[in-house]
Amino acid sequence: MVIDVFLALGLVVLAWQALIGGSLFRGIVMFIVFGMVLTLAWAWLGSPDLAMAEAAIGAGVTGALIMIAYWRLRRINAVEPRDPSPARSRLALVIAVLATGLVGAIGLAAVSALTGDATAARVMNETLPDTGLGNPITGVLIVFRNLDTLLEVAVVLAAYIAARAALGRESADLPLPPAPDTPLLTPLVVTLAPLTMVVAIYLLKAGSQYPGGAFQASALLAALGVLLVLTGRVGPAAAANWLTRAGLVIGTLVFCLVGLGMLVIGAPLLAIPGIWAVYLIEAAMMISIGLTLVLLFAGAPGLSGKRS
Amino acid sequence: MVAEALACLVLVPVVAACLALVLPGRWRWLAVAAGLLPLPLAMAWLTGELGREGLITVAVAGFEAPLGIVWRLDGLSAVLVWLNIIIALLVGLHAAAHYPADKLNGFRFWPLWLLLSGAMNALLLSADLFNLFVTLELVTLAAIGLLVVDRKPQAMRAAVRYLLLALLGSLFYLLGVALVYGQTGTLDLYQAAGVLQPDLLGHTALVLMTVGLLVKAAIFPLHGWLPAAHGNAPGPVSAVLSAMVVKVAVYLVWRLWLWLAGDWAIPAGLTMLGLLGALAIVYGSLQALVQQRVKMIVAYSTVAQLGYLMLLFPLLGLVAFQATSYHLLSHGLAKAAMFLAAANLLTRLGTDQLGDLRGADRRMPLDVFTLALAGVSILGLPPSGGFIAKWLMLQTALAQGGWLWVGVILVGGLLAAAYLFRVLAVLCARPVACPELPVSGKADQLTSLVALGLALAALAAGFVPAPVLKLLATAWPLGGAP
Repeated sequence: MVIDVFLALGLVVLAWQALIGGSLFRGIVMFIVFGMVLTLAWAWLGSPDLAMAEAAIGAGVTGALIMIAYWRLRRINAVEPRDPSPARSRLALVIAVLATGLVGAIGLAAVSALTGDATAARVMNETLPDTGLGNPITGVLIVFRNLDTLLEVAVVLAAYIAARAALGRESADLPLPPAPDTPLLTPLVVTLAPLTMVVAIYLLKAGSQYPGGAFQASALLAALGVLLVLTGRVGPAAAANWLTRAGLVIGTLVFCLVGLGMLVIGAPLLAIPGIWAVYLIEAAMMISIGLTLVLLFAGAPGLSGKRS
Repeated sequence: MVAEALACLVLVPVVAACLALVLPGRWRWLAVAAGLLPLPLAMAWLTGELGREGLITVAVAGFEAPLGIVWRLDGLSAVLVWLNIIIALLVGLHAAAHYPADKLNGFRFWPLWLLLSGAMNALLLSADLFNLFVTLELVTLAAIGLLVVDRKPQAMRAAVRYLLLALLGSLFYLLGVALVYGQTGTLDLYQAAGVLQPDLLGHTALVLMTVGLLVKAAIFPLHGWLPAAHGNAPGPVSAVLSAMVVKVAVYLVWRLWLWLAGDWAIPAGLTMLGLLGALAIVYGSLQALVQQRVKMIVAYSTVAQLGYLMLLFPLLGLVAFQATSYHLLSHGLAKAAMFLAAANLLTRLGTDQLGDLRGADRRMPLDVFTLALAGVSILGLPPSGGFIAKWLMLQTALAQGGWLWVGVILVGGLLAAAYLFRVLAVLCARPVACPELPVSGKADQLTSLVALGLALAALAAGFVPAPVLKLLATAWPLGGAP
């Protein structure tokens, strides 16, 4: 109970701080800390999958993307380090009251919900053993409701093309922080890079039985990519080569082709023929999502071996 | 075969989008054609099946609800899928002139175009509240990407506003879905409909989802983002935004109020939604009257015409349902034609400021003719799809003695006449000076002909309404006319 209250209050305070924190930078830091505490909250509520996803994507990758955006805004002098947050709108109070009322109404409604067993969850627990999977979340994402996941991977693709369309080709010249010049860098990279790869692939593999899966693995891969970009081991390129483009679409494409292939052999659309197909689809998704996130961080259409 | 045809509607454009991103140069045209051309064939076959069966359902991945996602094609979805396919193909033909698939801007345009049409089909087929959320996200993000594909500063600003509001709308919708799932243990719209009660939770969920969708549908007073976005988008994108993207959000509001909460009897809510529609009609039309750019006039006209779709709620009944659905169809065609014609004026004359367009009819007669023809349907003059829709709406309103709604429909028609004649009067005015236009190339002629084709389709809808109205009637959930 004490921990519940602590987490709940902490989240509210951090959210408040992220919104009104003295400067933009402070707000960003608070947002990342908010993500960390939210991770703890999910873990405390017994949802390790959500906790991992929140830590890797919500706090980690999103934090890195916001940070690099802030750094670039500083470079072009669009913001100052001590810039105060934008002046509060006169509507702030009205919006706050309305939002509170809304949260109250939703809370009241949620409390009044029937506490009977959730039909979908019950059916899933009965069906899950037939699939050979042990992790119900992977079951829902890749087997039972895989149309959602397929379309979500397509959403990532659409968002990426939209971002590229908005950025234009000259974005390959967007500045990146200079690589730190220290002899410790190489040992760090050669230790972390293979280790991260192994953990990402482990998460993917473990996802079938235990918490984990493609989304968490792709976030780890993206973190590795961000590390390589920041240390200058990988740099932005002005154009995407065919490998990059193939990497971006492979998640959506493999998912669709497996799904359509099942129709050809007379099974229902998007039926998953076996655990190998789960791994195949998840591996393809991991590559696409991870690559998308790294390219967004680098702000460039492609990647090259060495930063110029 | 049914599953194959449905899969074709959704997955073929998505696969084609992926291929258009990886194939080199000219091969991309092949991917685009392969993604769009099979759609009418699949849908023609499905329409035949639908005529026999009355309703087509398929459990995706072989798992029935509540565990899996169910696709459900009824008369209403079928009409909208047809509209989506016609728009994707014809407006796509117009776009082909401006976005060659083997050039950089086409390289970005076509994958988004294909994803948008696939996502729209997925949305119209889905009977699952969460799956609808995902499809709605895909529709919105692809639309926003298309909006910025030319990198015009005004379009970028409009896109960011649209993105932020659309995300807010999604959040509201998702909160409502979470409540429904918490109560009913299922995400299937039709299963949840049997369990969800009109209590505190049910009402909260319905209101949350409706508000979220009304933001995306740009229904007055949540329309703020629409004119800037639709008015500054590239021509073909404005057309698809007005014809389809906002419509599918209204379609979902219909699904929620008539299918999920069909037997709740909440007259106050229905009247409220109708009043929003009435205000949208009056406000949007008045704004269209004072705009100075042709595309902004057409964009505000969309705000107004969306209002008619909300009149279904107060007029509730089979005929009103047919009328508003038919309005959705014919407005989609006419508005796409108008936006394409306006885009042609803008491209060839370099401006769409009303003041600079005097005598445009001499230089671009075909496009001005298209604007006028499409205007006939928007006004609701016979013979056109718009006339059938508004005539049926008036009939039901009169039969129910709903004088307020009769008045709104008539005033809306008069105001539409005012803002459209204002445009046409300027376009056909005696020119002050008439600089010669460069001789129009094949591409220019094609873009004008496509716009004309869509306007003619909107007129043709006025001649053959019976089969469409019959198809729509099979979808009506609430029984005979009141």
